[in-house]
Amino acid sequence: MTDADIIVVGAGPAGSCAAIAAARSGKRVVLIERGPFPGSKNMYGGVIYPRILDELIPQWFETAPIQRWVIRRSTMVLSDTGALNIDYRSNAWGQAPYNGATAYRPDFDNWLAQQAVAAGADLICSTTVTGLLRDDQGRVCGVSTDRPDGDLTASVVIACDGVNSFLAKQAGLYPNANADNYTLGVKETLSLSKHIIDERFGVRDNQGVDIEILGGTSGVNGGGFIYTNLDTIAVGVVLKLSKLSAQKKRPEDIIAELKRHPAIAPLVEGGEVVEYSAHLIPEAGLEMMPKMVADGLLIAGDAAALCLAAGIWLEGVNFAMASGMYAGQSASAAIDASNVSAASLKSYTNRLNETFVLQDHKKLRKIPHLVLSDRVQHRYPAFVTGVVERMFRVDNPTPKPGVRRIVREERKKAGIKLSELVRDALTGLKGFG
Amino acid sequence: MTIAVCIKWVNYSGPVESDTPDERFAGFSFADQAALEWALRIAEKSADEVLVLTAGPVGAEAVLRDALSRGAHRAVRIDIDLTSDSSVIARSLVGAMSQARMVWCGDYSNDRGSGSVPSFIAAELNIDQALGLVALELPENANASFTAVRRLDGGRREQLLISGPAVLSVEGSTIRLRRASLKNTMSASKQEIQVITATGDRVETPALRPYRPRPRVTLAPIGLTALERVKHITDTSSSKGHGETVHAEPSVAATLILESLRKWGYLP
Repeated sequence: MTDADIIVVGAGPAGSCAAIAAARSGKRVVLIERGPFPGSKNMYGGVIYPRILDELIPQWFETAPIQRWVIRRSTMVLSDTGALNIDYRSNAWGQAPYNGATAYRPDFDNWLAQQAVAAGADLICSTTVTGLLRDDQGRVCGVSTDRPDGDLTASVVIACDGVNSFLAKQAGLYPNANADNYTLGVKETLSLSKHIIDERFGVRDNQGVDIEILGGTSGVNGGGFIYTNLDTIAVGVVLKLSKLSAQKKRPEDIIAELKRHPAIAPLVEGGEVVEYSAHLIPEAGLEMMPKMVADGLLIAGDAAALCLAAGIWLEGVNFAMASGMYAGQSASAAIDASNVSAASLKSYTNRLNETFVLQDHKKLRKIPHLVLSDRVQHRYPAFVTGVVERMFRVDNPTPKPGVRRIVREERKKAGIKLSELVRDALTGLKGFG
Repeated sequence: MTIAVCIKWVNYSGPVESDTPDERFAGFSFADQAALEWALRIAEKSADEVLVLTAGPVGAEAVLRDALSRGAHRAVRIDIDLTSDSSVIARSLVGAMSQARMVWCGDYSNDRGSGSVPSFIAAELNIDQALGLVALELPENANASFTAVRRLDGGRREQLLISGPAVLSVEGSTIRLRRASLKNTMSASKQEIQVITATGDRVETPALRPYRPRPRVTLAPIGLTALERVKHITDTSSSKGHGETVHAEPSVAATLILESLRKWGYLP
């Protein structure tokens, strides 16, 4: 008899949701976390879209440790001195059933893991899984850990060990790991009083703001962000790993430069850095996803590169939670059927294909590369802000130029060919449309 | 027999004080960890059971489960207000450690408390105490006496022979606590923890007063005016009337000195 029915590696959103789903189906579940508590290793600073939790934890928003409910979403395009801001506000997002939220992941992950414990899973912290155990036929049958006497056997292992998953690599599911597929997320958490944050961002109570930024990354392909917590703000950049390395720039310098931008400085002024952190992000979407199923093994969350970086949609936690939940359900069903082969566990990928998890990624498969392309990164911000600058500038007594003329001249000034503009527009329309 | 280990659960939130301490950062000190390790090593050589105790709310059970996962046999939580007097906590701990032949404590806790609980435990049990140990040499035979080195003020050391029941407190540098096995970690999460509600009685200790020397009678200064009297007190060149040089045998001289001291009020 095995030590457990299902071992879940990593108590992040994917792991905890996998453990909840599996434990609720009556399985013996062990949830292993390398940190001293779930979320302790996390540096996340984004917006969580927890709608998928409706299925798993009804009325989750009554107990989840949320900082602010995001009621304003802004997309900002930065040139060297200018900024175009597209801002949408909906107070309805600040009421149940809510839309997105900011949260401290050490709190959120811990809360989610406690839901798994309440469902019957055993949570083992401060334990690092060092490898996969295999039976005589080469099927995964457990994990080894860094603890003495640390081997643990199970019918199914669900690897939710995050980006750069060692378990998925060890299982041979990541044949072509490529640094171009990853970005480095770097974040500063700045302490500001709640009153100041409310005033600067035009919100009240626990209303929050999400600002995504194109440009402002010192010439390194990527983007920036600002998120409001109750009495801190997260400001940071996401940088294409290969470009950051090639340009030999320091991420902390890039954040400092972003914070000095005339459009950003008034928002972050006076903020004291209380935390600095960095983390890899699997950003290439469908193109980098590994095979997610093997005999006795499932991969979920960031480990499976289930992160959507599609410009206006930047989501990861919801994909992690959904994939974890489906992995837990599929593993339980396979154990009930006494068949944990890859063929039996394929119900997991079927479920991903049927739902938003892979359908969104398929639909937007070309968008991550478009967003991180040199043209979108370096030429379009100057082009867009140049157009808007001239549209709103009043040069009396010179007559106002026509918009078409402005667009044509600014496009040429930015070095964008018409054919390139059309091609990118079509790619965007195909993805977003 | 039982070897008791008292560990202090401290809800430590780091250098920044917080109004809402977070139990995720709670734990026990390296000194307490060393105490647990020494107890486990002695128990491995004997048939003793290791009983680990802590005082505090339900959240404190996390450190007990940690201790169980590392090899302790039994755990007791004293349900008591942690702001209670150290003597009250000590008496509560003693009440839960019947037949303990040895009590191990850390020399300090994570909140750097008074460090007085081990002494109160020793007083309550009426056994010896060896506190602030910086080195130990355990014998092959777990029941044999062993030597320990104790830190004294001024960098001095005291070597002690521990031969009977005693309360020992150790520094964290003496030994490193073992890592728990995976199986023990899993089973510890389900192991029963006994909960005892504290009695709240203080430990009675002998009444002690700080040392205070007897008052010395000082004669009033001589002089008709204030200036003269001040001069009498402060003028070192003038004679105060005290002091006399005598040439005599030592025994006679000693008698004269004692008589003078009595006369001047320095002796009764």
